[in-house]
Amino acid sequence: MNDPTVHIPVIVICTSLIGAFLAPVLGKYRPALVGLMARLIAPVNALLLVILLRYVDAGETFHYYMGGWAPPWGIALSVDYLAIYVALIIHLVSAVILLYAKDDLFGEVRGDLHRWYYTLFLLLVAAMTALAFSHDFFNIFVFTEIATIAACALIAIKPKKECIEASFKYLILSTVGSGFILLALALIYMVTGHFNLTLVAQNMGAAAEAYPLNIMVSLALLIVGFGVKSALFPLHVWLPDAHSSAPSPSSAVLSGLVVKIYAVVLIRIILTVFGGEVLAAAPIADMILIIASVAIIAGSLFALAQTDIKLLLAFSTVAQVGYIYMGISLLSETGTMGGLVHIFNHALMKTLLFLAAGAIIHQTGLRKISDLDGIAKRMPITMAVFSVGALSMVGIPGFNGFISKMYLATGAFDAGKPVFILVILMSSLLNGLYYLPIVVRAFLGTNAEEGKFAKDELPLSMTFPLVILGLACIYFGLLPGSLLELVRKAAHYLIAV
Amino acid sequence: MNIISGLIQNYFYFASIVIFLIGTHVMLTHSNLIKKIMGMNIMETGIFLFVVSIGYIRGGSAPIVPIDGRGVRFINPLPSALILTGIVVGVSLTAFALSLVIELYKYYGTTDSDEIMEMRRRER
Repeated sequence: MNDPTVHIPVIVICTSLIGAFLAPVLGKYRPALVGLMARLIAPVNALLLVILLRYVDAGETFHYYMGGWAPPWGIALSVDYLAIYVALIIHLVSAVILLYAKDDLFGEVRGDLHRWYYTLFLLLVAAMTALAFSHDFFNIFVFTEIATIAACALIAIKPKKECIEASFKYLILSTVGSGFILLALALIYMVTGHFNLTLVAQNMGAAAEAYPLNIMVSLALLIVGFGVKSALFPLHVWLPDAHSSAPSPSSAVLSGLVVKIYAVVLIRIILTVFGGEVLAAAPIADMILIIASVAIIAGSLFALAQTDIKLLLAFSTVAQVGYIYMGISLLSETGTMGGLVHIFNHALMKTLLFLAAGAIIHQTGLRKISDLDGIAKRMPITMAVFSVGALSMVGIPGFNGFISKMYLATGAFDAGKPVFILVILMSSLLNGLYYLPIVVRAFLGTNAEEGKFAKDELPLSMTFPLVILGLACIYFGLLPGSLLELVRKAAHYLIAV
Repeated sequence: MNIISGLIQNYFYFASIVIFLIGTHVMLTHSNLIKKIMGMNIMETGIFLFVVSIGYIRGGSAPIVPIDGRGVRFINPLPSALILTGIVVGVSLTAFALSLVIELYKYYGTTDSDEIMEMRRRER
């Protein structure tokens, strides 16, 4: 324990938390420095996580005990590939979003609230990271609540009535979800006597035999609770309003990261704590698989009917969350890899699309898809990058969306459920139907001014993140090797238990 | 019969679930936003009662070791300690929700969600 590298998980969580509390104070005296601090924290943490990854590569995955107190008394953090993978995604993507937020915020959030925006953002990042690492039920509950409040406030910070309303709806439904989660934790604690995930898992077999009702009810409550928060299909009603009305950087982080973290936590609990016996007793995996398929198709169909570009992107998120659940509930190694890799790929694509849509709104104020005729002539870089994101979403080979779809399809085949390949193909078709018309309209629309392409006239701080994300989409579509290696280890960890 | 005698013996579990359901019902069905928030608090109280009663044993006292150190049955302090955190979370959620209602009232002049929906429909 003398190696300082083992403390990295705590350091990563705490730097974001401390940054969140410093932001308003710093903003009062040195307003210029707040953004800089926020923009520094995320990449530095990502770097630390890479160091941690190297460390874990050399040895075994381990549990970190807060303050050196072992589990029955202390709080544990699980340092494994899944946690590091998710935490890396959180920090890399939020670093890019924060870069973009610098200039975009001026249009959407009142000037004196900027420092509070950074507070909320860093708080959200800290809570999500803690959720990825948590190995303790009660910590999961507390950080879920922190993430919920921060996420709601990130929507409500924009002084428009739609935002306040969407935020309130999100808050009420999330609270119902949290209530269910807390009740489920109480039921589990009642029969196992522990909150630590490992200890609960050890006692699960005996508890499930003696008190099957408790275990089944808590499993159902957990699925509904986290399902609300991660917008699993019939429980997604809060998502479209919340994600479409929020300021663009908030939309990007909510859609690209927040919903998936809850999915990861739910999957981790179901697979590592409840384990094979409980899953064998009730067809939980098959049920989630079917719900996820419905989510994929229904989300795409809803998106098809939208006329507002951000609403369209929000409904598309409902469908994409379905992919993640589907991949993991296939319970084959390739399927799980597909689900996990889609967390990363979708974080890239959806962040890119929301930021590009935000750039269009920032520059022109246009939100309706029918108004976007020939917009590519005015904003060629933005629309080129938007097209990359759209093609990724559809799953054209060479873009990163294709990689996750390929793994999902192979996983469905491996699991002996080839029907779901059909679902994936159908949804690709639907994705094409609602994404490609935007691209076609933008580049070939009748409204295009004659001849020449103008310059975007976007500030560099907005163009740069867009281009980075676009390049990343192509890079991980062509050379996904190192990413897949990490995902394979994470998937192996989930499936092995 | 088994279930009924179980319920009578563990009446506090039953009561807390009833409170939880009342809260959830109020939260999801009432159109008044303040009532929704009250429902949220009632729901949370139900859960808190449930968790605290898990750790309770009949005739137990608070886990403070008496000077002679003998002869007292203690309740499990862990659920009570955790619920303290839960209450703090609940208070902050309530405060945030109430501040959102104030903002909504500024925009719409009402705290009734049905009326707000009606106004939004007319705007479109």
